[in-house]
Amino acid sequence: MGPDIAPFVEDDRVHGSLYVDAAVYEAEMDRIFRRGWVFVGHESEIPRPGDWVTRRIGTDPAILARDAAGAVHVLANRCAHRGNTLCWQERGNARLLRCTYHAWSFALDGALVAVPSPGGLDRDKGELGLDRAGAVAVHRGFVFANWSGTAGPLADHLGAGADLIDRLCDLSPTGAIRLDAGWIGHRIESNWKMWPDSDNDGYHFDTVHGSMLRAAPSSYYEQTVVGGETANPSRAVDYGLGHAELDMRPSYAAQVQWLGTTPEKVADYCAAMRARYGARAEELLWQGPPHAIVFPNLFLGEMNVAMIEPAGLGVTVHRHTAVQFDGVDPAFNQRLVRQSEAALGPGSFIVPDDAVTAERMQVALSGVHAGGNGAPGDGGWIDLSRGRAREQREADGARVGHITDETTNRAFWRRYTQAMGAAA
Amino acid sequence: MSGTVSIARPAAAEALRREVEDFLYLEARLADESRYAEWEALVTDDMHYWVPCGAADYDPATRLSYINDNRARLGTRIRQLQTGLRHAQTPASPMRRIVGNIEILAADEARGEYRVGSNFVLYELSVQATHGLRVWPGRATHDLRRVDGTLRMARKVVELVTGGEPQPNIAFII
Repeated sequence: MGPDIAPFVEDDRVHGSLYVDAAVYEAEMDRIFRRGWVFVGHESEIPRPGDWVTRRIGTDPAILARDAAGAVHVLANRCAHRGNTLCWQERGNARLLRCTYHAWSFALDGALVAVPSPGGLDRDKGELGLDRAGAVAVHRGFVFANWSGTAGPLADHLGAGADLIDRLCDLSPTGAIRLDAGWIGHRIESNWKMWPDSDNDGYHFDTVHGSMLRAAPSSYYEQTVVGGETANPSRAVDYGLGHAELDMRPSYAAQVQWLGTTPEKVADYCAAMRARYGARAEELLWQGPPHAIVFPNLFLGEMNVAMIEPAGLGVTVHRHTAVQFDGVDPAFNQRLVRQSEAALGPGSFIVPDDAVTAERMQVALSGVHAGGNGAPGDGGWIDLSRGRAREQREADGARVGHITDETTNRAFWRRYTQAMGAAA
Repeated sequence: MSGTVSIARPAAAEALRREVEDFLYLEARLADESRYAEWEALVTDDMHYWVPCGAADYDPATRLSYINDNRARLGTRIRQLQTGLRHAQTPASPMRRIVGNIEILAADEARGEYRVGSNFVLYELSVQATHGLRVWPGRATHDLRRVDGTLRMARKVVELVTGGEPQPNIAFII
């Protein structure tokens, strides 16, 4: 059981109580983060056998590990004996994960390997492996887990979202990216849903980020997201299944504008792309990476990747890193690290202003309550109707609006409603 | 700069200590009071302003940091605050920091360069949204350089005690 959210979500508005209701949050952790597919990390974070990093699946502690044979596992970060935290650091490399309580040792596939004084072990070792995600799947190095194992194939969850990941990876001259330049955690006192909302909102840039635009005038932002609905042809696209993009491809007037540079300045990179992709390289160099949400917790922020981590009803960690390419010179990747520091994270020029906006919303929404009988109260609706009338439906089913339209937000909530309802 | 500090004349050492302390206290007060232009006037043309993620034990060129500003980017940071439109600091956070445990870690008298370590605790009221009190304990390492007879800051590294954990907005000068 749990809350029925259907009365709180309409096609073009949602009720603000969904951001502040503890029962809704608990249901989300179950229905979306345990029973659905979520992004947990990238293979490049654990390149060698024995590598592991700690993560959270929703709010549940987990380990992303590579076993001796090279296979990737997502395990509960909890000893199968008495429940002690198994990995208490952020990352490591080990042949065995050894519990600090009674020294039970587990292989990186989760199997119990050894216990001290084994003569008294009365249960079969095979029953005492670590709890694990019911399904783990990898797409182009992006690792996804479905804790319940009941969500069906990853490909069915991703749908066209897989193309978004492909478009990012295809910008690497080897076809492979790395996410190994370190994650920066940004702690924001807002509900997690503010972040798929905000990261994929193409309507706020002039107002929220006006200070950055004035301090660092940039043709990039002016061209792609600024100026309102008459100034640029960028699009908001809902690919279905909650995956949606602020598509800036129509706005680019030259190749590698998405890198904030010119082809001459990154000539080696352009040459490497042409060597790999031939004629297709011209299109790739022009189009650049997506700015998109892959439901529910993966943000492809152009040359950044972020995880949206719920950390309580009113707390989110927005954790990001810079995309790094194989097959380019170190200066190219270092440039991406610098750009990432400028755009995302608590000390950057952009996201702190989104963060304070989300925190202001969370404060305001604390005054919104569900009414009696499981129905919305009076007032407290969040309007997401913008651009609905002019939205176009493409042959493949994608809904397309202007970049300032709330097409992307409606995409998130459509999938959200389905995920929250299906398991109710 | 040498690794150890031995300034032969006690009077000169004491004068330098006073001068360094005065600089750190001034720098802290200008930052606390969001007096951006006056704070910026304390930095050299090659200033490096670094807030690492965790300890300052890695190469910031290749790994992400909370803040890793060269002089140009620091200028952008100050200009952004000065627009008055920086929502994350509108209004500016009321802040006060206590600076202590000041040590001159290395000195090159001939070049007029000094490395200074200090501890700090900064109290910030996040008046922009939540009105919560945020406490920022940490260690600062200043590289100071005498320019035209006056101390200036060529590098400031801020290692937060909480630096390995997710951070709230650091949109002020820390």
